[in-house]
Amino acid sequence: MADRLYGMGGVSSGKGRPGRKRYAMAIDLRRCTGCNACTAACKTHFDVPLGEWRIWVMETEVGKYPDTKRYVLPRLCNQCDDPPCIPVCPTQATFKHPDGFVLQRYNRCIGCRACMVACPYNARHLLPDHRRDKRNPRNVADKCDFCVVRVTRGLAPLCVTSCTGGALIFGDINDPESEVARTVRDNKVFTLRPELGTAPQVYYIGLNESIADPEFAFLNRSAQLRERYATFKRNSEVGGEMAGNIDESDMGFFGLVRQGLHNFGTFFAEAPKKFFRGLY
Amino acid sequence: MEGQVIANAFQNAYWGFPIALYFWLVGASAGSFVISTLGWVFGVKKYKPLALFASNTAIVALLIVPVLLIIDAGKPYRFFHLFIFAHWSAPMVWGSFLILTYPIAMGFYSFFVHKENQLWARRLGILAIVLALSTHWYTGVVMQLNPARLPNHTSVAPLLFLTGAYVSGIGLLILCLWLRNFLVTVTARVSPELMADMARLMLYGIVFDLFLLGNEFLQMTYGTGEERTILYEVLLGVFRWPYLYLEIVWGLLLPLIILVIPRTRRSLNGVLVAAFMTATGVYGMRIWWVMASQYYQGHF
Ligand code: SF4
Ligand code: SF4
Repeated sequence: MADRLYGMGGVSSGKGRPGRKRYAMAIDLRRCTGCNACTAACKTHFDVPLGEWRIWVMETEVGKYPDTKRYVLPRLCNQCDDPPCIPVCPTQATFKHPDGFVLQRYNRCIGCRACMVACPYNARHLLPDHRRDKRNPRNVADKCDFCVVRVTRGLAPLCVTSCTGGALIFGDINDPESEVARTVRDNKVFTLRPELGTAPQVYYIGLNESIADPEFAFLNRSAQLRERYATFKRNSEVGGEMAGNIDESDMGFFGLVRQGLHNFGTFFAEAPKKFFRGLY
Repeated sequence: MEGQVIANAFQNAYWGFPIALYFWLVGASAGSFVISTLGWVFGVKKYKPLALFASNTAIVALLIVPVLLIIDAGKPYRFFHLFIFAHWSAPMVWGSFLILTYPIAMGFYSFFVHKENQLWARRLGILAIVLALSTHWYTGVVMQLNPARLPNHTSVAPLLFLTGAYVSGIGLLILCLWLRNFLVTVTARVSPELMADMARLMLYGIVFDLFLLGNEFLQMTYGTGEERTILYEVLLGVFRWPYLYLEIVWGLLLPLIILVIPRTRRSLNGVLVAAFMTATGVYGMRIWWVMASQYYQGHF
């Protein structure tokens, strides 16, 4: 308990502290086939609701047919060493474990979503009310936790065990002999959005930096992805907690008014239910 | 590099129209409270008669805020966690304490204004005005302290919010006073001249807001690729209605024109139209300010 770190302007984990574990992940993109076994394993194990991901694979096609190449990029919470999501959490529901995990306390979280707005990697989501198993946490923030429950029992995270290409390498980066420490040391590794100073603890080998970039991702969405995104947003009202979802193709004057009214409508219609669902 | 993203997770925008409305209400409350204190705190005598009404308008606007915030949270019954587990580095905690204390201070101020107790009205007025400005300052800070949300991550944010608050608060107050005039006796009515005078105060705010917006625009034009991409989206793309048309044209430029032309600025209709445009236009700013960066970032 005393070791938990809540960070104001900088949280460091057990960096360089002898005898301290410091878990990190290396992802060898040359080995990743984009099979999504990690996504499926994680989804089923954690009952991750429809439309939310703890780990997912982003795919990009570069070049023009027939000279194309496909890049895959598994994405998950980076368990940042200096995470922007922690200082903004008003209830200390999220904290940095000295062993490197950024963890979530479901019983404290009020579902204000400040952490989701702060995370530069879109790694967080709000658990909706409709979970398959009602005993699972609902209406609170969640994210990848490096499978802390498995790791503390000596098992590797599920995505790592299920990875068909052996692309995910996990371990204690403080131990110079561990596979992850050797991999990070011996290869040219990259992190996502390093300019933000979040010190991510997920290292990529073979990352194409010009496509692992928000601006690229925004400007170069395929037409099909746009359409699917719009459909997702149109259908994703969860009690107004996602009331910022807009269909970008319908943002003229009337579209704006319609979407605003629709979002307000669901917000207020769902409001009374919030007081009776899952109670405290 | 030429290419396209063909698969990615879909991200929700977690703060939306209700949060924008909440920012707008806090702002309108702070703005109308500023007018309320002109008489009792800053000694501008002609504003004394409307102090009580302006303060009460501010209280009503602010009382809606906690309701909005609580029903916006995923776990409404846990709102007290904000106080008992207060994490002091989180702007939201500062805001929670401000939203709690600000209406109380305003309530006492209203009471002493009602009792015409100059000394205590002044003291409470000073306290409440500091709380009013802080409350709205914090809404800007909540958006500002997200380093990854580029258009929000600017130290101009609280100033932009406060200026928007000032103009929208005066706009709202002018409209409320006009409606009130239909309900009260002739002697208690607020004269069109006083409303025109308030519109003059609003005009200063509009000019300052345009100045800040100009600076923001410059920074984004000369900014990083991301900043320019977002600038395009808010100016001509997805958010053109809230930003360009609602905030700038409808909320600032047209009222500016109305309020500089002598004929319209002295007519009650001109003042009312300008007040309505400004008050609603600021909501456009709240919308794009809350949602544009989430929309952009949601594609990564
Ligand atoms: S990736 Fe996001 S959620 Fe994970 S630690 Fe970093 S800021 Fe927090
Ligand atoms: S949603 Fe929960 S974890 Fe996230 S900032 Fe709010 S209280 Fe903290």
